[in-house]
Amino acid sequence: MAKLRIQFENGDPEKVIEFDPAKAPFHHDGKPGSILDVMLGHGVHLEHACGGNCACTTCHVIVKQGFNKLGESSEQEEDLLDKAPGLTPTSRLGCQAVVDDPDAEIVVVVPRYTINQVSEAAEE
Amino acid sequence: MTAEPPSAPAARRTTLIARVERIFDHAADTRSLFLSLTGGKHLRFVPGQFISITIPLSNETRSRPYSIASDPEERGSFEICFNRVEGGHGVAWLFERQVGELLDFSGPFGAFTIDRAPAPQLCFIAEGTAIAPIRPMLKRALASSPSPKVELIYAAPDREHIFYAAEFDALARTAPGLSYETVIAPAEKIYDRLFDLAQARWVAGDTDRTRHFYICGVGKGVLRLRDLLRGAGYERRSVHYEQW
Repeated sequence: MAKLRIQFENGDPEKVIEFDPAKAPFHHDGKPGSILDVMLGHGVHLEHACGGNCACTTCHVIVKQGFNKLGESSEQEEDLLDKAPGLTPTSRLGCQAVVDDPDAEIVVVVPRYTINQVSEAAEE
Repeated sequence: MTAEPPSAPAARRTTLIARVERIFDHAADTRSLFLSLTGGKHLRFVPGQFISITIPLSNETRSRPYSIASDPEERGSFEICFNRVEGGHGVAWLFERQVGELLDFSGPFGAFTIDRAPAPQLCFIAEGTAIAPIRPMLKRALASSPSPKVELIYAAPDREHIFYAAEFDALARTAPGLSYETVIAPAEKIYDRLFDLAQARWVAGDTDRTRHFYICGVGKGVLRLRDLLRGAGYERRSVHYEQW
């Protein structure tokens, strides 16, 4: 079983998901087997304003462990990450980062900036 | 399985509520909804951004993105434009909405935006309803100072699906820096035509590599255009695109 540990920079409790990558998809948004797919399919929310279609950066996560166990990023993902607040060398879009190694142990952080960005009401 | 049972999800977005103020049918399969925030507030956004609308589907809800087709400066309401697509449950639900009904949404989101012209020459390329984000971006670019030289290439399978045609025609007459051109081609040939046009005009036909491109459309044709332009020497960050 693969293991995905999710930490939230805003202090929300850590979540741990154990899953069989061969059983993907777990949900209907994001690439099958992606971090987004795994999280949503196991009841853990991750923002994905574009529906998980690699058209925004709201599912930005920072991979703390297991970066090399994830599927490679596309040029489109790299272009979007380029515009993500708080970009790091191990940033990925949750909707695109696929876990297909059944022995993978991945640790990701959902950045505080991302959380804040999607929580601000854009009214005036 | 989760180590803890699913609980109140982290990082939930703030949901806003909009009222359907007006409906406009561009064509039998294409519609605009004009939405206003409840409470009389104004939605603040940057040209090119989208909102994420909560769509109820049987026993669950999904969020689906819809680009804002109007200008941020327009007060009162903002516009989303969409067309029917095969198997598109979200769009089918939107087509059933009536004036006065309320929609939940969040946003605006998106980094495919323009706040002011980033270069003296800009080229916008869109097809069908993908003109939605391009429309306010174009107008924002034209309002920049100094005025940039702007090209708008708008493709569709027929004239009926060139939306906002009168507005673009009028802009082309009154905005000195704007060149506006339509490309009419069968749906399956649209990107071949755009590719050939881009190849002839901005790759083979011009050595200047300083212009910026903003491309919006459906499918991998958008990525073909991106690769053509970047491969020809345009900087990665000057070829902006949004693939639907």
